[in-house]
Amino acid sequence: MNKSSRKAILAAMPFLVVTIALEALVRAGWIKAFLVPPPSGIFITIVRDWRELFEALAMTSEGAVLGFVLSTLAGIAIAVFLSSSRAIQEAFYPYAVFFQTVPIIAIAPLLVIWFGYGMRTVVASAFIVSIFPVIANTLSGILSTDPALCDLFRLYGASRSVTLWKLRFPAALPQILTGLRVAGGLAVIGAIVGEFIGGQGLGSVIDIARTQQRTDKVFAAVLLASVLGLALFGAINVVSRVVLRRWHVSEQA
Amino acid sequence: MASRIIETVSLARRSFLKIIPVAGMLAACGTAKKIRLALNWKPDPEFGGFYAADYAKHGLDVELLPGGAGTPTVQMIGAGSAEFGIVSADEILLARDQGNDVVALFAAFQNNPQGIMVHASRKLESIGDVLKSGTLAIQSGLPYARLLRKQFGFDHVKVVPSPGGDLTAFLNDENFAQQCFVTAEPLLARRRGVDVKVFPVSDIGYNPYTTVLATSGDLLRRNPDMARNMVTAVREGWRSYLDNPAPTNQRMHALNPTMDAASFAEIAEAQKPLVEANVLGAMTKERWNTLAAQLRDLGDIKQAAPAEQYFRSL
Repeated sequence: MNKSSRKAILAAMPFLVVTIALEALVRAGWIKAFLVPPPSGIFITIVRDWRELFEALAMTSEGAVLGFVLSTLAGIAIAVFLSSSRAIQEAFYPYAVFFQTVPIIAIAPLLVIWFGYGMRTVVASAFIVSIFPVIANTLSGILSTDPALCDLFRLYGASRSVTLWKLRFPAALPQILTGLRVAGGLAVIGAIVGEFIGGQGLGSVIDIARTQQRTDKVFAAVLLASVLGLALFGAINVVSRVVLRRWHVSEQA
Repeated sequence: MASRIIETVSLARRSFLKIIPVAGMLAACGTAKKIRLALNWKPDPEFGGFYAADYAKHGLDVELLPGGAGTPTVQMIGAGSAEFGIVSADEILLARDQGNDVVALFAAFQNNPQGIMVHASRKLESIGDVLKSGTLAIQSGLPYARLLRKQFGFDHVKVVPSPGGDLTAFLNDENFAQQCFVTAEPLLARRRGVDVKVFPVSDIGYNPYTTVLATSGDLLRRNPDMARNMVTAVREGWRSYLDNPAPTNQRMHALNPTMDAASFAEIAEAQKPLVEANVLGAMTKERWNTLAAQLRDLGDIKQAAPAEQYFRSL
């Protein structure tokens, strides 16, 4: 057995155990089906409503990925800006925290008025929810560059921008990628919350199914949302492997 | 397994409590578990009668649990995390169709307070007109939304999710229509200087009982007296709230200060015609049958059960 198939089996084990246990508990009547639907029921719903669910998944994916890409670009840019001087950092960093604490549901009606119903509200919601970890991790990565290496660059007369792009930024990559892993999952949540108010995708499916007391469909949509989260996570891991493989311990071994 | 063990324990405790008063140890009654009544929104005039009720007079120690958007009261009743809950008639039909044994006891709102609110300046004449242009904010999952779609089609109106009670989008856009409680949002919109027109959903023949006190079939079998006392207390509560809402409004306002005192008074007045009846809270088989047939035709429930399964007159 090679290493990657062993890893896949290990990762699938908890899922299988929980699924089988849940199915057994519901069938035995210890958990009521209208509270937690049996996994088989969720699976049947996915198969039966696949068209509706996958169209919704496609829309949610678009919103989440766009929001994620925006927060990656803006988050890194903001962190680089913040790292440029201690004064700038002290002046603006507290405001970045705003993004982490904004209760998205509370400003939802405003998002709709600013961006209209539909995709733009969804992207905005995914962006707001996911940008903070990118800023925080990038900034902390840039600021924790090995001082000895900074001295070396100074000794050779490297300019500030050369130091940033050749030293600080590459050195921060592992932390930036950690920030992106967190942001990926948050972007999915942000997109779905945006869809509750913006009206499309999995958020809309969940909202409607909940009103209709269709817990099986709610869980089906949640399952697809987590597949989307996993896909984003996997994509970031691939990027991480490619950029870090040659020099960072976290991707070696 | 765990739930069965708890079940046995609480049954044992219940029979134990029956013996104690006989033994003259009345003090021990203080340890009795409170009866939980789960609300699906924050304390507001919609629940006035439930807050006005004197439960203690009927030997009940009731705790009202305020809810929020999407509080699943019907599932809470089924799961036993609340003995009683406030639901709407359509929720009962959906729940029973899913195997959740929930039964209606008392319909506070005899007529559906749900409606669609539009700017009066649009000069619309009927619900059908609302669906001819502009935007409609509505909970698409609700049966009446699909009934509207079936009757009029959604081809000419942009349907968006309901913003709850929030009026920002409505006030901002003249061609924005939104689902509302006929007793609440229109009042707030008028106060903000917008002249509104309201079309009750019952106009299209959809008139489920709402703000319905419900319990589980299990509790009805095990403790019919508790259910009966509860209904009596609630009926008296609503009578007193209809006659004199002020003291209860004051108490609810203290619990929910976000809603101002004037709104409490105005809404309590506006909802009176929807609540008032010969026998408060009473329900008829015909109404339940009509609703069940409507939901069956919409495909929301697999089959319409006999009306007696949906409600109980106590």
